[in-house]
Amino acid sequence: MTAPLASTLPPLERNLPRGRTLGWLAALAVALVGLPLVLPGYQVSIAAQILIFSVLAMSIDVLAGFAGRTPLCHGAIFGASTYVVIYWTTTLGGSLWAGALLGILAATALAALFALLAIRTSGVYFLLLTLALGMIVWGVCLRWTSVTGGENGLRGAGRPAFLADHVSFYYAVLAVVAPVTFAIWRFVHSPFGMTLRGIRDSESRMRALGYNVPLHLFLAFTISGAFAGVAGALYAVFNDFVSPSTVQLSQSVAGLLMAITGGIGTLLGAFVGAACIILLENVVSLFTARWPTVLGLAFILIMIFAPEGIVGRARLALARRR
Amino acid sequence: MDRRSFLKATALTAAGTFPMPGLVRAQGAPIRIGLLAPLTGVVAAGGREIVDGFSLFWDERGRQVGGSKVELIVEDDASNPDTALQKARRLVEQSKVDMLFGNLLANTGLAVANYVKTNGTPYFIPVIAADDLTQRARIRNVIRAGGYSASQFSRPLADWALKQGYRKVAMIAQDYAFGHEQCGGFAQTFTEGGGKVVGQFWHPLNTSDFSPYLGQVGSLGADVVFAMETGADSTRLLQQYASFGLKEQLPLLGAQNATDQSVIRTMGPECEGVITAAHFAEGADLPATQAFVKTYSGKFGKIPSLYAFSHYVGAMWVAKAIEAIGGKVEDRPLFLDTVLKTDLPDSPLGKPVHFDAYGNPVYDVFIRKVVKNKDGKYWNVPIATYPQVSQFWHYDPETFMKQPPYSRDFQGIKKA
Amino acid sequence: MTEHLLRLDGVGVRFGGLKAVDGVSLAVRPGERRAIIGPNGAGKTTLFNAITGVVRATSGRVTVEGRDVTRAAPHRRAAFGIGRTFQITNLFPTLTVHQNMEIALRGLSGRKFSFFGSAVLSDEEHAAAERALGLTRLSGRSRALVRELSYGEQRQLEMAMALATAPRLLLLDEPAAGLSPAERVIVADVIRSLPATITIVLIEHDMDLVLSLVDWVTCLSNGRFLAEGAPGEIRQNRDVQDVYLGRARPHA
Repeated sequence: MTAPLASTLPPLERNLPRGRTLGWLAALAVALVGLPLVLPGYQVSIAAQILIFSVLAMSIDVLAGFAGRTPLCHGAIFGASTYVVIYWTTTLGGSLWAGALLGILAATALAALFALLAIRTSGVYFLLLTLALGMIVWGVCLRWTSVTGGENGLRGAGRPAFLADHVSFYYAVLAVVAPVTFAIWRFVHSPFGMTLRGIRDSESRMRALGYNVPLHLFLAFTISGAFAGVAGALYAVFNDFVSPSTVQLSQSVAGLLMAITGGIGTLLGAFVGAACIILLENVVSLFTARWPTVLGLAFILIMIFAPEGIVGRARLALARRR
Repeated sequence: MDRRSFLKATALTAAGTFPMPGLVRAQGAPIRIGLLAPLTGVVAAGGREIVDGFSLFWDERGRQVGGSKVELIVEDDASNPDTALQKARRLVEQSKVDMLFGNLLANTGLAVANYVKTNGTPYFIPVIAADDLTQRARIRNVIRAGGYSASQFSRPLADWALKQGYRKVAMIAQDYAFGHEQCGGFAQTFTEGGGKVVGQFWHPLNTSDFSPYLGQVGSLGADVVFAMETGADSTRLLQQYASFGLKEQLPLLGAQNATDQSVIRTMGPECEGVITAAHFAEGADLPATQAFVKTYSGKFGKIPSLYAFSHYVGAMWVAKAIEAIGGKVEDRPLFLDTVLKTDLPDSPLGKPVHFDAYGNPVYDVFIRKVVKNKDGKYWNVPIATYPQVSQFWHYDPETFMKQPPYSRDFQGIKKA
Repeated sequence: MTEHLLRLDGVGVRFGGLKAVDGVSLAVRPGERRAIIGPNGAGKTTLFNAITGVVRATSGRVTVEGRDVTRAAPHRRAAFGIGRTFQITNLFPTLTVHQNMEIALRGLSGRKFSFFGSAVLSDEEHAAAERALGLTRLSGRSRALVRELSYGEQRQLEMAMALATAPRLLLLDEPAAGLSPAERVIVADVIRSLPATITIVLIEHDMDLVLSLVDWVTCLSNGRFLAEGAPGEIRQNRDVQDVYLGRARPHA
């Protein structure tokens, strides 16, 4: 097996009849739209944060769960987009829309560059190479003080007035995340997405069938980078601040943990994973300064008792009942 | 007023009130203070002392001020600006604190300052020294109670050095904004007074081996060295400076953090004799200072560091303002104005202090020397005093702020 | 030249100091059924890999339909009409039979680069998939997960996938390896029923199976060409008997 995290789950389409899937999605949509009506303001901003990080986790799942390549550089790609958006809107005084577009483009270009270097490796070598590439981004952000503000980072110009309060910002994020999620869902279920699963399971077979494996991996990596860039651009508006800690390794690890907690290869598990980790971080840190330890323990428990992740586990249970 | 403009006005008022949870504080409710400190991560030891110094003050007052109870909510910023920002949001939006205090690393403080800029929450920063927070990028509700701006104390130190007859300085500094600013203050004053900067060495944070820099320092023909170091870097530099034999040849001056208690309390004679400048000297023979040092040492078993004393002083300063307005911190303009107008005559700093018009204190600055006290511990004692030093030194504030902020590329060096 | 569908001229494959295949030449006519036999380590699979591009021939030339493919990448050779199965089952175990066929079908079609399109097969693709599954006796198993198939069915799927894109040259690497006698009969029937437009080269150990399926046999030993002939002749060949009995003589 080339992929340390390759999914062993039955494909979704076999387990859920189409009607029922749509029913669940409708219920989810109602819940997401109604959320701000029942939650106090601060929790609404947490919900927006969860949505943003779900996109990052999904972008990682595209590679880890579907192409069988687990990346540790997506935090850096995500953060590169954040940097570009904030640099564009403050230092250069440009508009947010152009900034967001440029941020996503920058993330895509960066991912393409990383892909060129990383796609010929797999398994632990891929993991380490992408880790090193991510560290380079972090190093550049730290040292290129004249542009990135170095250690101190860049401060944003503040959210545009129509996004200033938590509720409108949440809806704006939802309005971006929903179609992006649909796009990623289509992507992994497209003919191209199917080729990634083929590559995950057997590269030699794919080559014999006429697939140019490195080209497919390159495209998958680049597109997943674009999705991470979308998340990074949203984060720029959410956080209104960026520093090397946004591109550091722990960001990549957090995104990967969210994908794993939700369930690698489940795609939508990213939402569950992001919610679990962000909520846990928020709740546990109220009670103890040792919240990273608690988070680590929780993660170990998940790995032992539900290595398929929460959504993966649920899906297996559902398949068994039938 | 017609209906339309009435609606508009109501909407504006509502929009204005929305991000100001302070206004909803009920009469007689406790005053909530959020303290952000790095309790985990690279500077966790300093973070602990922030909490110690800050809580010590409020405990001594029985957690009361201006007729209200004081509720302290401490959050860990994890030495990470993103976490600091998230915790600041939670303190303001969920815990509904009336004001924020704290943070240690400049990047965490800058992140939080940028956030409170949008909602007006008073934010007091006894340690965050980034110059521009009280200069070019001043935020009205961000006030350096008990704190200082990075280049503020290195200017009197440069002046003192010139008066000792030093003319050629070599500078070693950590390569980040705090280092650039402290060095900039020194370099500008030193060169404007006729001195010369013969070399500047910028090294990355967490440098373990200073020999490449120290080797060159000796050969530049400098007559004095200025070191801008913090934490473990400072410990290593002082040790290696001594073991290189430079201590006997070239006098060493430093930024105040280079000989802060957090650095020298674990050190031996290699720190002795180093000269720094600061608004506080734990070895000053002043009653208020010694009383504080005695209480703090008795309680925590160590002489207070910058992190502890400045948070103690910051708390004291703000508490005095709260008393003056009878606890009405929800009236933010009044609260902020009152803080800025409040003088502190009797703090552990030992000398009276007040704010300038930009939210930065004006201090009597001590030129300090590290000596061994009667308990055999090293501490900083004043050897000279510069009264009433503002962040602008002798410059006109408006003119000064026209020059670019100090950076690696701009050190304010006057060409001879 | 062009009357040969596949032609090898002095093909050699070297791994460091080891010559896994050493100067093998052979020529296969269109529509021919050819077996390559030889004891373990004779270089049969390596030769297959040199034809499909998994490894590159370090010497000699590989020609398919007159086109020199010696240096072409594996996916390019697939596009030239070479299909193959693997000795060790090489499928997509976490996917269904249908999805395996889907991937196989699109290997040579532009639709594999449809990023956001539907994965549902077109009528034409569906017909091709059904045809290949029918040929390999897997009709009706579309919705099964590959890892839930019996081993025999997995071997059949190996062939179905190779057939999906209608290759002109089909390389079968021990299609009956590890099968029960009953399952072997099915596999033999499948191979026998393949259209004559497909040229087949197969590696197989089971001599009875080989003799009932092919027109011509090439025997390798220690990476070299040993003998060639009709199945009956090869069976009588002393050299072949020797290597199969483990008494290989040094080759001059």
